[in-house]
Amino acid sequence: MPLPSFAPRAEGRVIAGVCAGIAQTLDVDVTLVRLVFALLALAGGAGILLYLALWAYGTSKKAWLWAVLVLAAGVLLLHAVGLSDRAVAGIALVAGGLAVAWREGGTFRPDSPRSYAGVGLAGLGAVLLLEGQGGTTAILAPGAVAGALLLIAGPWLWRLALERDAERAARIRTEERSEVAARVHDSVLQTLALIQRHASEPRRVASLARRQERELRGWLYADRPLGDDEASVVAALSAAAADVEEVHGVRIEIASAGDCPVDDRAGALVLAAREAMTNASKFAGVEEVDVYAEVTDDEIAVFVRDRGAGFDRSEVPPDRRGLAESIEGRLERAGGKATVTSAPGEGTEVELRLPRSAP
Amino acid sequence: MKRRVVLVDDHELFLAGVRAELGDAVEVVGEAGSVADAVALIKEQDPDVVLLDVHLPDGSGDAIINAVAPERPGVRFLALSVSDAAEDVISVIRAGARGYVTKTISGPELAAAIERVAAGDAVFSPRLAGFVLDAFRAGERVGGDAELDELTPREREVLQLIARGYMYKEIAARLNLSVKTVESHVSSVLRKLQLSTRHELTRWATQHRLV
Repeated sequence: MPLPSFAPRAEGRVIAGVCAGIAQTLDVDVTLVRLVFALLALAGGAGILLYLALWAYGTSKKAWLWAVLVLAAGVLLLHAVGLSDRAVAGIALVAGGLAVAWREGGTFRPDSPRSYAGVGLAGLGAVLLLEGQGGTTAILAPGAVAGALLLIAGPWLWRLALERDAERAARIRTEERSEVAARVHDSVLQTLALIQRHASEPRRVASLARRQERELRGWLYADRPLGDDEASVVAALSAAAADVEEVHGVRIEIASAGDCPVDDRAGALVLAAREAMTNASKFAGVEEVDVYAEVTDDEIAVFVRDRGAGFDRSEVPPDRRGLAESIEGRLERAGGKATVTSAPGEGTEVELRLPRSAP
Repeated sequence: MKRRVVLVDDHELFLAGVRAELGDAVEVVGEAGSVADAVALIKEQDPDVVLLDVHLPDGSGDAIINAVAPERPGVRFLALSVSDAAEDVISVIRAGARGYVTKTISGPELAAAIERVAAGDAVFSPRLAGFVLDAFRAGERVGGDAELDELTPREREVLQLIARGYMYKEIAARLNLSVKTVESHVSSVLRKLQLSTRHELTRWATQHRLV
């Protein structure tokens, strides 16, 4: 806790400029400050000592000097108020002890012998106060002891709490680091090793890198979980896309707006979308497939689009069940609808729509 | 005339890749790897387009835009990023970037995007279109101008088609519009994105600034 900076002011001074300095520091009228000092001076001369203390502090910055002077001023003041010698000595000891126990920075360090000496002094002062006679001190004393204990124990407990928080933060950091290490080892390093082994197969390398990228992203931008956690529709679509990419060596770009958890019906939609991605990868003859998922309150819509060969529905042999069964049939059973738009040379778009609540 | 382009990215390897892919399509007049370098370079070169990474070692892309835009209003920014985080992308767009493309974009597509941005149009990748639809759909409005806080049905339709992977030409054909009209819808969405007080957008922007 830095002490407020303060210096006696030569400008407008009457004695040493202490009042003027205080008035400037606190931004109050200098007359008011002088009045306070004058009143304090009447209280057994406390004001004069305080003035000296502040002058000592302001000019030499010797903490012990002004502490002693302030203490003396306090003693005079308490005397003037009418407390007994005993009570005054008790209060002085409590205050002095606390000042010793408290070190710079306003903290109490349980590991420093000085602190114990200070606490001892304060305790002695408290005992003196307790034994002090007189109606007011009998009530004041226990309060002073309790206050002193609280003042000492409070910062100490606070420090303990801070230290515990720091320890916890450090432990969490360590745990996170080892989780990152494990994740990097399991995925990135493995993939790099695989890439080195397959360096002569560009397609395989590209799909490995792509899959790894997707996984890493999913993990970094937490809202898209990794492949092994398919809790949301978008995450499940991403995982399906990664699998298709790996098998067929295409790039699948996924865009999405909104998301929702996967239930049985949404699961069927994801499977249908996966089949559509597979078809596009196998038959369109393109490098890239676009997938867009839009989840609203009413429905889930997924679009799988390629700019490839396209086809004429009437020329698809009836024994090829992929489209009819795996996409259209599957979605209809789940209560949704699949629409396939395609023409030779124009690419293909599969539109999958599923109402959020079962019809 | 070739467009004068400044590349801002802290990954050397990536810069080299972009330069190679762009080839002769544009004139690369400078490269920078940090916010401070980029601001100085852009002010000095006054390029047509700045290709901007969202994350840099000493700040984010929007810091560059904020520092440069008042002095060089003619410079257009195109965000180019591997970041998938919606808030990153949205905040750089809100700072004034004319579009966002992912780093996996091919050379010719990137050159086309630069040309479009230089001509004053907006460039939305499918992913950005998804983010924007999401942002304008979710969350409540907090006062402000209703016109700026909602997309028109037509704008929504255009964005949905972009998200589905359609190109402007294809969107125009599908909706029976001219390509110019499609472009103006996209520019209008961009304007709303930058000026809207929508809760979701402001939240994203604020979060990003706090990070």
